[in-house]
Amino acid sequence: MCGIVGLHLKNPALHGQLGSLLAPMLDCMTSRGPDSAGLALYHDEGARTVMDVYKDVGLPKEICARYDIASRTGFQGIGHTRMATESAVTTEHSHPFTPTEQLALVHNGSFSNHATIRRRLVREGHVFDTDNDSEVAARYIADQMTKGADLDDAMRMVLKEFDGFFTLLVTTSSQFAVLRDSFACKPAVVAETADYVAFGSEYHALASLPGLAEATVFEPSPEVVYTWSR
Amino acid sequence: MTEMLPRPTARAEPAADEIPADGRRRSHTFPPESIAQIQRMAEEGHYEIRGWGAKRALPSFDDLTFLTASISRYPLEGYREKCETRTVLGSRFASKPIELDIPITIAGMSFGSLSAAAKTALGTAATAVGTSTTTGDGGMSTEERAASQLLVYQCLPSRYGFNLADLRKADAIEIVVGQGAKPGGGGMLLGQKVSDRVAGMRTLPPGVDQRSASRHPDWVGPDDLRIKIEELREATSWEKPVYVKLGATRVTNDVKLAVAAGADVVVVDGMQGGTGATQDVFLENAGIPTLPAVRQAAAALREIEMEDQVQLVVSGGIRSGSDVAKALALGADAVSLGVAPLVALGCNSRTYQRDGISHDATEDYRALGTEPGHCHKMHTGQCPVGIATQDPELEARLDAAAGARRVINYLKSVTMELTTLARACGKSDVHNLEPEDLVALTVEAAAMAGVPLAGTNWIPGEQR
Ligand code: SF4
Repeated sequence: MCGIVGLHLKNPALHGQLGSLLAPMLDCMTSRGPDSAGLALYHDEGARTVMDVYKDVGLPKEICARYDIASRTGFQGIGHTRMATESAVTTEHSHPFTPTEQLALVHNGSFSNHATIRRRLVREGHVFDTDNDSEVAARYIADQMTKGADLDDAMRMVLKEFDGFFTLLVTTSSQFAVLRDSFACKPAVVAETADYVAFGSEYHALASLPGLAEATVFEPSPEVVYTWSR
Repeated sequence: MTEMLPRPTARAEPAADEIPADGRRRSHTFPPESIAQIQRMAEEGHYEIRGWGAKRALPSFDDLTFLTASISRYPLEGYREKCETRTVLGSRFASKPIELDIPITIAGMSFGSLSAAAKTALGTAATAVGTSTTTGDGGMSTEERAASQLLVYQCLPSRYGFNLADLRKADAIEIVVGQGAKPGGGGMLLGQKVSDRVAGMRTLPPGVDQRSASRHPDWVGPDDLRIKIEELREATSWEKPVYVKLGATRVTNDVKLAVAAGADVVVVDGMQGGTGATQDVFLENAGIPTLPAVRQAAAALREIEMEDQVQLVVSGGIRSGSDVAKALALGADAVSLGVAPLVALGCNSRTYQRDGISHDATEDYRALGTEPGHCHKMHTGQCPVGIATQDPELEARLDAAAGARRVINYLKSVTMELTTLARACGKSDVHNLEPEDLVALTVEAAAMAGVPLAGTNWIPGEQR
């Protein structure tokens, strides 16, 4: 039970507003996840891309204020509000899960075979921070990418290996990707304009965005990997 | 139609505390059954031989229950949403692995122990539901090869009826190291079942008791097993999967050794596994139950990082879809059934069909000293329902086509039970069941299966 949002800004003119656009989107997801919230924001520093992660226990509004999210700039960001299911309410258990310095994942749903995949990853030397099922997916994707897969392939492998229900939003230093399981019963809406790609668990999370009336709005299809690159 | 047994309504015996503390006081150490056994041995001068499997109460899959989905996990819809049951066995080295529609196979039971009609019925049923059947200690009969789309050919210590021509006709090879019913022991076929045809296939004289060896003649230990496996692969152009079947005793070591020797598939047969004939003392006192065996075998494969390459098949007392689901959750890739499909065929039924008429077989059971519902008399060859016999009169009591229909119904029902539980656990594939889906109802089962005692996070023996 969670809310996820994401914003990938194509138009550099909007980069200054990343935080101020994303914070209200996250706030809209409060009822879906009142336990904790978190964001991963990407910006450039010279030739380098930096991902900053903010997560904490509490309501999205409080957390956004605490970390002054509205003033943050950058080219993309994802956010998550959490209603804990099978693991504890702590900052570590909050999304996004960031197994590497550039990869972030937020998940709405519940995997049903993550214990088996976790065992395999642990054996291969992966160290987990939490017992959260979403962390397994994050580390799995990171592992696939270290082994040479691109984000697209790694997401398709998730479809093959993971059972259960999921809408996933995954970002890297250059990409923004969405994937839903074959049942697609965890809600998801995408709005795309010439300026941005926005994602929300519910439509009203997108309502505050500029130019939404002209956007192409669609519900991502089940078992399709959608990726946008810089 | 065979007839269903009446459901037990009342306790057959008074409870222990109802037994009077007078001259009829019962001895715990020497209860009437023990006294009867001693008297029988004193009379006859030999051990009891019988069929079936262990009859005493053992920790089993019944002691586990599933944590199905509710709010934190979501279930799949029973009818609309697919739950995959396809199973591949033997993908490690074999170029032609066995592809099954369901993770439920038919275990090896010999032609000789079983009638030709029974073997045909099992093969026909297995083919209809897309699974494999297995030969047994006595060679491959033409009927069962014809009836079975996928036939596993056993290589047993006796090598009865084992030959290159049939080896090449098989779809997979199973080297039988041991059986759960009698790990460390050999097979037995009493003379009354050694008909001319059975004797011919085994190249032994008819009518004489046949004992199968307890060890293979040409290999002992893992080093030589490796050579044997390679020999069988060479003889079959590396096409056919090689299974190694173990009676469950020192499971961890044995599974690792079977893998080291080159097995594609390891079959672990627990203490509840059945047999056509062996010593009662063996059935009840050797090996470990299927429940701890599957857990140990799965852990062994994980330890050597082979669980994705070598498949684990588990057998021994599996009856229902819940047994299958629990075995799969604990790490099995498939299960193997022996006694259960015989019961589906009509074993232990009060009646049998002949020429469309139902006949009561109770008197025939009684002549063997048993009753329908209690029979374990395969070894006599006098099976009242025509399954475990070579007597043409008795064999005629089993119609292969009707028997096959019953086995098909049974296997389909078990599969439906399996997918029902898997869907309720939120799985779109039965192979995604995992130990975390289970809890135990007894401390013993929690320790043996390595899952928490229900309502706690406690796994006995595990450091937390
Ligand atoms: S009915 Fe036949 S197959 Fe069943 S236990 Fe008795 S002898 Fe064996």
